[in-house]
Amino acid sequence: MNDSQLVLTLVAAIGLGTPLIFATVGEIITERSGILNLGVQGMMLIGAVSGFWATFTTGSLLLGVIVAVIAGAALSWLHAFTSVTLRVNQIVSGLALAIFGTGLASFLGRAGSNPLVGNPSRKVFEPLITGGIAEWPVVGPLIFGHDILVYLSIIVAGVASYYLFHTRMGLSLRAVGEDPASAESAGVNVSRVRYIHVMVGGALAGAGGAYFSLALTPTWQDDPIGAAGWIAIALVILASWRPWRAVFAAYLFGAAERVQFTLQTLGDPWSNIPSTLLAMLPFILAIIAMIVLTSGKRARLLGAPAALAIPYFREQR
Amino acid sequence: MSTSNGEPLAVELRNVDKAFYGVKANDNVSFELARGEVHALLGENGAGKSTLCSILAGLYRPDAGEMWFEGKPALFKTPKDALAAGVGMVYQHFRLVSNLTVAENLALGHHDQGVRLDQKELARAAEELGERYDLAVDPTARIWQLSVGEQQRVEILKLLYRDAKILILDEPTAVLTPQEGQALFKTMRQLAGEGRSIIFVSHKLDEVKQVSDRVTVLRNGKTVGGVATKDADARELARMMVGRDLELPTRSASAPPGEVMFSVSDVRVLSDRGLEAVRGVSFEVRAGEIVGIAGVSGNGQRELAQGLVGLRRLTAGRVEIDGEDVTSDTVLERIDKGLAYVPQSRLGMGLAPGLTTEENLALKAFRRPPYSRGRTLVASAFRDEGARQIEQYDIRGVRPGLPIRLLSGGNLQKALLAREVELEPKVLILRSPTRGLDVGATEAVRNQILAEGVRGTAVLLISEDLDELMALADRLLVIYEGEIVGEMQTEEATSERLGLLMAGQRVEESA
Amino acid sequence: MSTRRLIVEPRGLASTRLKLLVPVASVIAALIVAGIFLLLTGESPVEVYAKMLDASFGSQRGIAETMISATPLILTGVAAAIAFKMQVWNIGGEGQFLMGAIFSAGIAIWLGDGFPATVMIPAVVIAGGLGGAFWAAVSAIPRVYLGTNEIITTLMLNFIAINFVNFLIFGSSSPWRDSAVATFPTGRPIPDAARLPEFFFRLDVGIFIAIVLAIIAWYLMGKTRWGFAVRVAGDSTDTARYAGISVPRKILGVFLLSGAFAGFAGGLFVSGPVGALDPRSLILNLGFTGIIVAALARLNLIAIIPVAVLMGALNNSGPALQSIGVPTATVSMLQGAILLFAVAGEFLIENRIRRPESVTVAANPEPETA
Repeated sequence: MNDSQLVLTLVAAIGLGTPLIFATVGEIITERSGILNLGVQGMMLIGAVSGFWATFTTGSLLLGVIVAVIAGAALSWLHAFTSVTLRVNQIVSGLALAIFGTGLASFLGRAGSNPLVGNPSRKVFEPLITGGIAEWPVVGPLIFGHDILVYLSIIVAGVASYYLFHTRMGLSLRAVGEDPASAESAGVNVSRVRYIHVMVGGALAGAGGAYFSLALTPTWQDDPIGAAGWIAIALVILASWRPWRAVFAAYLFGAAERVQFTLQTLGDPWSNIPSTLLAMLPFILAIIAMIVLTSGKRARLLGAPAALAIPYFREQR
Repeated sequence: MSTSNGEPLAVELRNVDKAFYGVKANDNVSFELARGEVHALLGENGAGKSTLCSILAGLYRPDAGEMWFEGKPALFKTPKDALAAGVGMVYQHFRLVSNLTVAENLALGHHDQGVRLDQKELARAAEELGERYDLAVDPTARIWQLSVGEQQRVEILKLLYRDAKILILDEPTAVLTPQEGQALFKTMRQLAGEGRSIIFVSHKLDEVKQVSDRVTVLRNGKTVGGVATKDADARELARMMVGRDLELPTRSASAPPGEVMFSVSDVRVLSDRGLEAVRGVSFEVRAGEIVGIAGVSGNGQRELAQGLVGLRRLTAGRVEIDGEDVTSDTVLERIDKGLAYVPQSRLGMGLAPGLTTEENLALKAFRRPPYSRGRTLVASAFRDEGARQIEQYDIRGVRPGLPIRLLSGGNLQKALLAREVELEPKVLILRSPTRGLDVGATEAVRNQILAEGVRGTAVLLISEDLDELMALADRLLVIYEGEIVGEMQTEEATSERLGLLMAGQRVEESA
Repeated sequence: MSTRRLIVEPRGLASTRLKLLVPVASVIAALIVAGIFLLLTGESPVEVYAKMLDASFGSQRGIAETMISATPLILTGVAAAIAFKMQVWNIGGEGQFLMGAIFSAGIAIWLGDGFPATVMIPAVVIAGGLGGAFWAAVSAIPRVYLGTNEIITTLMLNFIAINFVNFLIFGSSSPWRDSAVATFPTGRPIPDAARLPEFFFRLDVGIFIAIVLAIIAWYLMGKTRWGFAVRVAGDSTDTARYAGISVPRKILGVFLLSGAFAGFAGGLFVSGPVGALDPRSLILNLGFTGIIVAALARLNLIAIIPVAVLMGALNNSGPALQSIGVPTATVSMLQGAILLFAVAGEFLIENRIRRPESVTVAANPEPETA
């Protein structure tokens, strides 16, 4: 029963969805502060390569994740600097981050006399529990059969949700994203809130990247994450800027990605559907979701921060 | 520094300077505020009152000067510093996050009560405060659901929630009916009675006389005097405020009005929220006539103006220009038929902020000669026509290639009005045309409006400034909750009568 | 209490020299940053950069190849610039480029061998523009009529287009696929009459077509009534409506034009150097690189031409790096860094930094609160 295609697909969807949860929750936190960071792809790739490198050098998965988180946050600092301090166009700055991060990650993976590329990771995230409950029918692989980062990603979403809606810092964060001028005059340090949350977003994107290189495809290659960073940006909208919904949106996309493999195993006529067409599925889903969910004023009702992507000019001092 | 009874002053400013782009908004200003007093800051638009308050509230930093707080030198670097010290401000344009609840707005920025945000506890505290100061408002409501008066109460509650000792209210009555204003004054006296100090910014003498203990008058960024209110003579204050017996242009004996040029019947318009903001408005404006529409802000003026010019769909009614039905015409068709419009928000709607002055002057006429030939623009026409209008309408500060947003408010308005007048319109609609302008620019704008009347244009002046309406209009209408509730010749109008109408005559009910 | 902090304020008017200086400085700064990474990984930046320079400009053939790389970038750069000027965030240049390529190759293959170049070449170029505009319309129409944010939809359409090209060649036996080659799927060569004539090594006349198209775009945006209306609408939507300008139609027009330019690039690339719908020769991030070109040229449609040559030179130098054992990704790292510095440099162009005392020109008093 645990080998049924449905269970296998769902399990794989959770795995493929996990890095998307990290990145999407990170981007939600960033966008809630009113900053749009389109550089998720770059931050994830930097996380992927630096995490892989750290684990490759030290043999420690924990260090790998920590390094990935720091690297993602460091790259996102650049975006915070351009969009908060310099107040230049966030869209272009985010794209710059994506291009730079992608190039740098690929460069670092291939540079030097002993490049990472082609090497398998020295350690890989394994399921936390083997045997026992993890072998129960259906719920075993589905609920108990995952590695620690899968559970951590859900905890991250939960914590982010609590933080946003039930803490005073979360209130400041939402206020800054809605109306920075009002938040500032209520005594909130708008710049600081934005810097912090852009970097938290970068850190989580870094963690998501590391999940690719240390769990999903643990051999270094130039482009180990596909288009995950771009999908995460779309998922933010699908999740209507709420961390919990990001979990479900991410798993849905994980499933959409997995479907192409599942269909291959189902035989005629399913296996005749070209994988190149199926690979479009997540993107088509995102576009339809965009049009249906966020057109016109619906975006505001959904929870889009009112000041998103608008530079905040503090009054002259 | 201390008062006569030895108690330190709540706040003292000494010789404060503050300039914006080289223009001094505060020039060597000194100001003293005692504990437990209501201190009025009196001055015209642009006199520097808001700047002074913003310095006190930590929003602006002075370029020079000293600030003393409770007898000690102090400098508030941010509004947060000021709030921590107990100084809070209610801005003219409220600083409330409209998508958050009342309770959340109170808690915002207030971090010394732990990590958790307890909505219930917050709501309870808000309710309690509201009851104590007669500022009741539903703590679970979101700000956008509240009326302007209620939003102002939230702003004051916000300060009281942090136990502010000094409350700065920047023209709080501008958005209130006289009755709401009276309720506010009661609260202000109550707060002063508790030993809090209140800075009350106004340019209305009667309010200042009624509610304040002391008055400081500002003019052109300078302090021109401070007196105890009971010793102050209204005419003396007025003279201090204006500086000279300034005669702003007013209409002379009205020329006999001509044909009906602009006719509006039973017009209905929805607001952004889908509520009926204009509810069956009818009136006529004759050629050469200036008709004023008075009313407290937010009674449908914006929707009415936008409906008339075609920016907002009419749900019912009919609009005619010179006898021709334009109800279903587009904005462009109405422009072509002689409708000109000066909106309230100059940089938001009337002008393209990033384009040059010359380009903005051509914003409506660019489709025809001399600005374009066929589908091609004529660069020399932009330059020459621009230069002529800049000269003729005395628009200052223009440099080649400079985006118009960097001009001053007065010059922006001169440019905007110049462009509309150059169209030689049959009908000219203006909204609060002199709001926020200095005296010189006000004079120029008023003259231009009067000249349009003389030229034979039908002028509709929608304004919240009663002085301006009484000075310019031949005939006055009063709008209240989207309906015209009164009409009179300007000669018959008094501030009192207009005030009652603007308040929907609720005075009679309560009296 | 004197405040000695530096004051930042809008400059209003930046000198031409500054506008030139900032992009040049961006490139230099990016070279330094990339140089640091090269040093860290044991390479000599000087050597690497010399190699790149030599590959792109060191020989006549190199110059020809640089110009070949620059041709599509001129057009994808124009595509990004005209959209961004209007605040239309079309970041789907990549997908529109590919859709242009699909249309171009499609019409050439469909028309076949019976037509002269005078028919084929215009047909191929126009088809490219139509393909790009069509793909842009998928985002533009929801944006204009439903208010759907175009950033995400254009972005997603890139990936759909990439997969669609792969599908046409790898996933199906479509007319675009070369049925003669059985071993590894490739694009079917388009008829010779549809190929742009080469005149300098491999360099074809596409470069001139691209320059002419860029000049047409410049004229359209800067010198016509339509362009003026677009600039007003791009500056302030409310003001445009107030002045009787139909904003939705302007957005739609600019969006489709932007897509068409990216599509032209795809068409010229197919009928120029590539000669087929070949994924490996076409999916080179030329659409994304167009955004870098536009940003570095500060959305100036004429400045795009030299900037595209610079980016083309960088792209062109990638393979040469591989030959000395330096990752090709050095190029994209450099380009990303250039874009980062260019966008940060906008701050210096928009703002003036001064000491508080030196009071400057009288322009603006208090900001309007309204």
